Amino acid sequence: MEAAALSPAFLLQLAGSAVAVGALVATAAWAKIAKPAPPLDDARARALLAAEFPGRTLDGLWVATDGVGALAKSGGLALVLCQVGDGWAARQIPWAQAMAASFRNGRLSVDLADVAAPRAVLTFPAWPPTDLAA
Amino acid sequence: MIKPPFDPVTLATPFFILTVIAEIVLARFGWAKARYETKDTAASLLMGLGSTVAGVLTGGAVAAATLWVWSHRLFDIPMTAVWAWVAVFLLEDLTYYWFHRISHERRIWWVSHVNHHSSQHYNLSTALRQTWTGALNGSFALWLILAWLGFPPAMIAIQKGISLVYQYWIHTEAIKKTPRWFEAVFNTPSHHRVHHARNAVYLDRNYAGILIVWDRLFGTFQAELDEEPCRYGLVKNLATFNLLRVAFHEWIAMAGDVVRHPRHALGYVLGPPGWSHDGSRETSTMIKAAAAPGALKLAPAEREAA
Repeated sequence: MEAAALSPAFLLQLAGSAVAVGALVATAAWAKIAKPAPPLDDARARALLAAEFPGRTLDGLWVATDGVGALAKSGGLALVLCQVGDGWAARQIPWAQAMAASFRNGRLSVDLADVAAPRAVLTFPAWPPTDLAA
Repeated sequence: MIKPPFDPVTLATPFFILTVIAEIVLARFGWAKARYETKDTAASLLMGLGSTVAGVLTGGAVAAATLWVWSHRLFDIPMTAVWAWVAVFLLEDLTYYWFHRISHERRIWWVSHVNHHSSQHYNLSTALRQTWTGALNGSFALWLILAWLGFPPAMIAIQKGISLVYQYWIHTEAIKKTPRWFEAVFNTPSHHRVHHARNAVYLDRNYAGILIVWDRLFGTFQAELDEEPCRYGLVKNLATFNLLRVAFHEWIAMAGDVVRHPRHALGYVLGPPGWSHDGSRETSTMIKAAAAPGALKLAPAEREAA
């Protein structure tokens, strides 16, 4: 470790950089130039899932009521889609894991078992879905 | 010479700040193409800030290794000769190409480099999204060859800085194409957009630092296609902006794989990203093959069985 390198001059430069970071983030927030992210509908969710999981057929699809996520059944797998900022992240987990996810106050909390995508929270009227085929 | 008389990256820092502001403001008024999302921008810039701290903490060890190798050099290369600067420009850029290529093609190096690719945006702030762990997996060793040849450590450091500063401005959607002769020789925004894209056709392409000719030479060049707009980010995008997860997720994932499957540890460490012992995951090669025209549309495990 370079203790000498953490000199007052470096720390001053670091503090200046931190202020600059704050200013740039504020400028980005002011500009409001994120990608448009309208609430998901069935067609858009299917298109996103098709791009993320090519070749997978969907046995069922449930779009979150707030439009910021979706969950699909594909054979023995659950395909989970969740909004991240103005983008999307998707993961597949065993269907049984999705069925066992905690559902409280209309929010399904799905453990994605991935350090890069720890959890997806999806709003549904009910879970398991009432229209799930037996 | 050992200590560089100047650091190109430090000198360019005000330029970085002003151009990010310019890109945002131009996009705000519709005069340039750029997208910024607040949390994503914060994550990118804080990764950049953290990387400067990490660089200071690990810089001593890297400098010591470089000095030691230089003390056993083959030739005495003068820092004052024009030919020496031409040579270090070409050789450093070639070194960068291979560093960058192994950083994508072997997981032990991808665990660090993945940070630079985890934004779903492609703007000037993405350029500053740098790793905190770059020195830990020893990729700096590639540059030791230059010191062994006899290039002074200061000369290598300056050229590395010049390369980094060059690569900053190409992280933008605001510039569509540069003149054809420039696109043919140099890395450009268009070529580097391809490199940051997660579309199957673009994966593991355009590793160049300054000169795109290395990709053309080694068969890794892919032009940006009008019919295939770039989608940025990772094959499996992050679902969080938590900075610690952004910085260390792939290290933790690799360690988890090694602990769970010790018999396959070498594959999980030295194999390509996405490699798995049971074929349940996908490497770039598998994704590209599956997306190729005429490929069977099968899930990974089905593909493995087929």
